[in-house]
Amino acid sequence: MTAKRALIAEDEPILALTLQKMLEKLWPELQLCAMVENGVQAVQEALDKQPDILFLDIKMPGKTGLEVAQELAEEWPDDKAFPLIVYVTAYDEYAIEAFEHSASDYVLKPVSVERLSKTVQRLHARLDDGVQRPNELDRVLEQLRHLVPGQALPGGNSTGNKATPERLRIIRAAVGNQIRMINVDDVLYFEATDKYINVITKEHSSLIRSSLRELLPQLDSSIFWQIHRSTVVNTLHIQIANKDDTGKISLKLKGSEDKLQVSRVYAHLFRQM
Amino acid sequence: MNNKPLRQLQAYLQSKLKPAHYQSLAGIIGDMPRLLAINLACGFAVTFVLRGGGTLFQNVLFSMFIGFSAYSLIKLFKRLFWGAGTPNTIAFYLMCVMVAPLALIVGMFIAALAFNYPLPDISKFKWSYMGSFVTLTCIVSLIAAWSFWSRSKMAELQASAEAEKAKNAAIEKQAMQAQLQMLQAQIEPHMLFNTLANLQGLIALDPPRAQHMLAQLIVYLRNTLSSSRAEKTTLKQEFTLMQAYLELLAIRMGKRLQYTLDLPDDLQQTPIAPMLLQPLVENAIKHGLEPKMEGGSIHVVAEKQGSQLHLKVIDTGLGLPFNYDDNKNVSSAANNIGNANIRERLQALYGPLASLSLQANQPEGAIAHLSIPIN
Repeated sequence: MTAKRALIAEDEPILALTLQKMLEKLWPELQLCAMVENGVQAVQEALDKQPDILFLDIKMPGKTGLEVAQELAEEWPDDKAFPLIVYVTAYDEYAIEAFEHSASDYVLKPVSVERLSKTVQRLHARLDDGVQRPNELDRVLEQLRHLVPGQALPGGNSTGNKATPERLRIIRAAVGNQIRMINVDDVLYFEATDKYINVITKEHSSLIRSSLRELLPQLDSSIFWQIHRSTVVNTLHIQIANKDDTGKISLKLKGSEDKLQVSRVYAHLFRQM
Repeated sequence: MNNKPLRQLQAYLQSKLKPAHYQSLAGIIGDMPRLLAINLACGFAVTFVLRGGGTLFQNVLFSMFIGFSAYSLIKLFKRLFWGAGTPNTIAFYLMCVMVAPLALIVGMFIAALAFNYPLPDISKFKWSYMGSFVTLTCIVSLIAAWSFWSRSKMAELQASAEAEKAKNAAIEKQAMQAQLQMLQAQIEPHMLFNTLANLQGLIALDPPRAQHMLAQLIVYLRNTLSSSRAEKTTLKQEFTLMQAYLELLAIRMGKRLQYTLDLPDDLQQTPIAPMLLQPLVENAIKHGLEPKMEGGSIHVVAEKQGSQLHLKVIDTGLGLPFNYDDNKNVSSAANNIGNANIRERLQALYGPLASLSLQANQPEGAIAHLSIPIN
């Protein structure tokens, strides 16, 4: 049996080092293939090295641990086994409830040796039992459905803000020297790029400097659905949802040639009623 | 039990009338019991003391009309001479004395018309007693004026006392809120547990640094606790607190965070309310630097210009949200709600000379600028 390989994603260097030392003691054969300090690197390194286990800090710059898991679930190659995920989080009552509910593996910071050794035992058991592995992706998707309720991702900028944010009615987008005023009802979909969001209507596409994390809480979640980590669609403009031979879902919009891909994370939204 | 319809009427009037009109109407209704009592007393006096003739019923009736006339005329003349302003005391009493005979005649005429007494008969009937009637009316008018006057004065005093009380309550509420926020900030579990997790790691990895970190945590906790109880603290104390807080974060975030604090010697003892500077620094960390992959720097600086104290928190973090509007009090971003609270407190503590503004830092990040008058 080949040695198992792990990735640690933790933005605070002392904590990363501490977790590494603890794992060395509890699981000497485990190989640490990557140590990263933000969510973006975590996705890159995980796709590149394809470890068996991921230790993901929840609150990281770039992407939260949950966003990393979500993006990996979308991007992971079909023929490779999906890694086991252990979330690492500081005390946060809401999150703990969600973790328990979704039956995810998690450890609390400060990490206790006892708890970590239990986690290690569980990981051992699941890795040895090779039959379980092909289902790991489905398991993670199911967990994410509990951990990522609706649209708002915990651990983002808006965490801890219990007040309902004001709803956005008009989007102001700079186009050259002009400001284009866009009624949100006219938006077909939002597409996130690196630092911008592309706002697509029937007539135009305009860039605003924002992130989906910032924008989503301001949209009516009963109408605007996230269907991919970078796409939010206005459901009132969807004409039809198509399922192809491999089970992938794509959306056709009224009055637009664009076809939108629904990632497997959000495929459950389009099951028939 | 009977108060309910009365209160409904009150609410109805209050909703239909302009506040000023409602106030004067409420004043008039409030005067009524006193006016009726005085009129009744006069009726008895005329019947049994002056023995002016006529039945008790007639005299009370006439007293009522004369009394109401006097009341209305005094109100009218007060309006005419002084408008909505406060009249001179002596001039006002003089006016009341002058009005008395006029009120006597007007009241009697109205009563006569209303009850169909022939006018000449009335004048004949009462004329011989006119002298004593005028004197009586004058005295009554004076007493009544004094009584109503002190009543309105009392009401005024009461109103100003209530306004003072409301203002104090508002300030107290602000202070309570601040203390509450402070308590929440102290025990924000995420901050505390992350710090403890780092400490736990350092104890094994690097004991001297663990000692250093623990020392910072002690300073941070002690200062946070003591300043949450104090109404005023000094800039020196606030900067000590910020130093400990930022040092804790710098240990946690490693090379991702640099910080500088700049407090001139002559401002060390300057008094300041607690929980004004700290939330701004925490916001810069929480929304600007912690979520930024490359990290960055934070610079906290105090300076004095004339009689204004300027505190600036300058960071090179993610910057303000795309739809941030400094003029809007309520906004979507979480930190803006915090800023609205700070603005309210500034207003309550220092008045309109204090301000808080947020602007973009060049080339990146945000600047929070707190301006407070020093006396």
